[in-house]
Amino acid sequence: MRTNAMRSVSRLGLGAAALCVAAALMQPASAVPVFARKYGFNCTMCHSAFPRLNDFGLRYRRNGYRIPGRENLEKLVYETPTPLAMRTSVGYNSETFSNTPETTNVAEFQLNGLDMLSAGLLGRNIGYFMVYTPQIAAGRGVAGQDGALEAANVVLSSPRSTWFYARLGRFEPAYVPFSVKRSLTVASYEIYDFAFPGGPPFADTRTGVEITGWGDPGIRYAAGLIDGSDTNSASDSPADMYLRLEKVIGAGEGQTAGHRIGLTGYRGLARPESGASPRKSFTRVGADASMNVGIWNLGVQYLHGEDNRELWGTAENVKFDGGFAELLCHPRTDLVAFARYDWVDTPSSVRMGVNRWTVGGRYYLEDSVAVHLEYSHRTQSPIQTGLGHATERLFTARVDFAL
Amino acid sequence: MRILTLGIAAFGVLLWLAHGNPSAADGAMFANGLLPPVPVPADNPMDAAKVELGKQLYFDTRLSKDSTTSCATCHSPDHGWADPKPVSEGVGRQKGGRNAPTVLNSAYMPLQFWDGRAATLEEQALGPIQNPVEMAMTMVEALDRIKAIPGYVEAFRRIFGTEPTEEGVAKAIAAFERTVISTDSPYDRYVRGNRSAMSPSAVRGMNLFNGKAHCTPCHSGPNFSDGDFHNLGVGYAAGRYADKGRFDVTKNPADLGKFKTPGLRSIALTAPYLHDGSERTLADVIEFYDRGGNPNPNLDPLMLPLHLTAQEKADLVAFLEALTGEPVKITPPTLPPAAGGK
Ligand code: HEC
Ligand code: HEC
Repeated sequence: MRTNAMRSVSRLGLGAAALCVAAALMQPASAVPVFARKYGFNCTMCHSAFPRLNDFGLRYRRNGYRIPGRENLEKLVYETPTPLAMRTSVGYNSETFSNTPETTNVAEFQLNGLDMLSAGLLGRNIGYFMVYTPQIAAGRGVAGQDGALEAANVVLSSPRSTWFYARLGRFEPAYVPFSVKRSLTVASYEIYDFAFPGGPPFADTRTGVEITGWGDPGIRYAAGLIDGSDTNSASDSPADMYLRLEKVIGAGEGQTAGHRIGLTGYRGLARPESGASPRKSFTRVGADASMNVGIWNLGVQYLHGEDNRELWGTAENVKFDGGFAELLCHPRTDLVAFARYDWVDTPSSVRMGVNRWTVGGRYYLEDSVAVHLEYSHRTQSPIQTGLGHATERLFTARVDFAL
Repeated sequence: MRILTLGIAAFGVLLWLAHGNPSAADGAMFANGLLPPVPVPADNPMDAAKVELGKQLYFDTRLSKDSTTSCATCHSPDHGWADPKPVSEGVGRQKGGRNAPTVLNSAYMPLQFWDGRAATLEEQALGPIQNPVEMAMTMVEALDRIKAIPGYVEAFRRIFGTEPTEEGVAKAIAAFERTVISTDSPYDRYVRGNRSAMSPSAVRGMNLFNGKAHCTPCHSGPNFSDGDFHNLGVGYAAGRYADKGRFDVTKNPADLGKFKTPGLRSIALTAPYLHDGSERTLADVIEFYDRGGNPNPNLDPLMLPLHLTAQEKADLVAFLEALTGEPVKITPPTLPPAAGGK
């Protein structure tokens, strides 16, 4: 039950948030999140359009949060300005559903969650990165979120070679080449969210250890051992492993310059949601590419999965395919437009096929303050016999900012 | 809900913490900003007579073999204290392999020369006099010439209490160079708070410089140089480095093709650019960076194709032009006549 007192607190909170936004908008060079503040850089040093990283940002992240070639100059977190940052967005959200009896439509101004972030160097060759999302109850004007330590990891860098870095803790795994945490769209990458009942969304942050490295000629690798799905982690960890190989063509990392192709293999073990039976396997193999030509970037992901039938409770193993093609247009530093097609094909026994179209853009009032417009249309196979395709239409107009 | 309120409160605090631009003073590692006073070594304090002597030596062609060449020949006040030729010509029109960097603000550089082979201006100053393709003297010959000029002998005695010595020549020239400072540019006025000192294009260029174009990690600090050495691939062709750069000093293979990051104050005055003078204009330099430099096995990891638009390139040039300081007010000296009044 929500009491009147709670309601007034929430109104107060919203008022405060609105004030913060206004203040942020009025600052001449407002937001300077952790790394930018440490170095005195603009956000665009590392982000092509925040939160998406550019090649420089990618190299920086991969190098254990140290500027490549400047490792000797780096300062530790104790010597730098407050290593804290936040990100949130506020605006109008409209979500209209049909043929999904359990879901209610949304059409209101909302505060869309809050990420609190800390990062820096703990030692010469030890970087860390944390994202905490405080628990927020859903309510009128507030999109709810679970309280979680979404990411908390340290990266150990070999002082001698770029072929060896180890990331430990909870992190965004390298087998997700198109980061969901730093995606430009609000609409999710469907294939990355796809999972058997109770299974982990493929692209979620995971806990474990990941070894990465890179060098000439344009080769990058990552291999990891991570906990099994959250549903049964107690008995299953560590269970899942993966390997990823990338080749970069031309100068750059394929993110904002040059081209990149990648191959990913993943094998997991999980206990079916029903519980009792022994662990069953699921596999994913994927291929992806990111190409840059002038102001255009084209990203393509293809993923094939095969899950043991017991994970789905079906008669046959479930094989599915999916992916997306995403086109970005970046005509100016302060403007980016995106269009993406997502699809998932599943066998008739599962009937969770999805098609999604997303278009939109972001205009940057400041380096770290973006006006975001997006429309997305999603259709999914009928969720019950007798119903038509389930559809979702998402429209959002918001201000996304970090500080 | 309590957590939300707490979050928002924390948020407000952060907003307050984050206000304004970071500067070197706030501990931001790479911020540019205003120049501090010129660093002066304890064993060579500044004094007006010493600076005047240094100025005379700097402009005196008699310090070269055939009396044609002075420091000012290659580091000319009329050309931003640099040389408009891609590579300099010394005595007998001999060519060196490198473009003469400006002497402006070299006092702020932790190491001298493109490859950093001299630690101080004092150490640097004796180099060109003895360089066979520059002034082509030995120090003994040079000192003999100076000792034959009564005005110089008198000045050395007054200032150093000795006859002309190598050390005195070096100290006097270095002291003079510490007065050749580029400052008070539109950029400086902008940083001091005059928001109309730079054009909107230059302001956009400044943000690119410190953002999308990735210039500040190397051109950092108030003199726009990290004083360090980087490989941009300049002069690398057909599998070899025309000039091995820093490697020649350290013999460390990791230093192959690395050159010192030049400061960028008054950079618009010192065309052509790069250590071999291979880029004619600032716009050409920007094109070079836009391509991601010149691919080679030792290319700096920060060199990446930038995909700048035509407008963004123009903005960067406008910013570099806004780094031009007020002209250094130095009039060429009257040189002491040779013995016998020649
Ligand atoms: C023939 C042309 C020539 C003459 C004459 C000459 N220089 Fe230079 N100077 C150069 C060149 C070329 C370089 C760069 C050489 C290198 O880095 O290897 C240079 C480098 C320098 C530098 C280093 C600047 C930096 O940022 O690294 C200083 C300072 C300097 N000269 C001062 C002088 C002084 C003082 C004299 C007179 C004693 C002088 N030069 C005479 C051509 C000349
Ligand atoms: C990786 C470090 C690095 C980065 C990044 C970098 N520079 Fe440089 N810059 C250098 C070095 C080193 C040189 C001298 C290179 C040579 O001659 O071989 C140089 C030379 C220059 C010159 C010519 C100076 C002269 O006196 O001849 C200009 C102008 C310049 N840089 C501007 C820029 C701009 C603008 C950017 C951003 C687009 C940038 N630099 C990015 C290191 C860097």
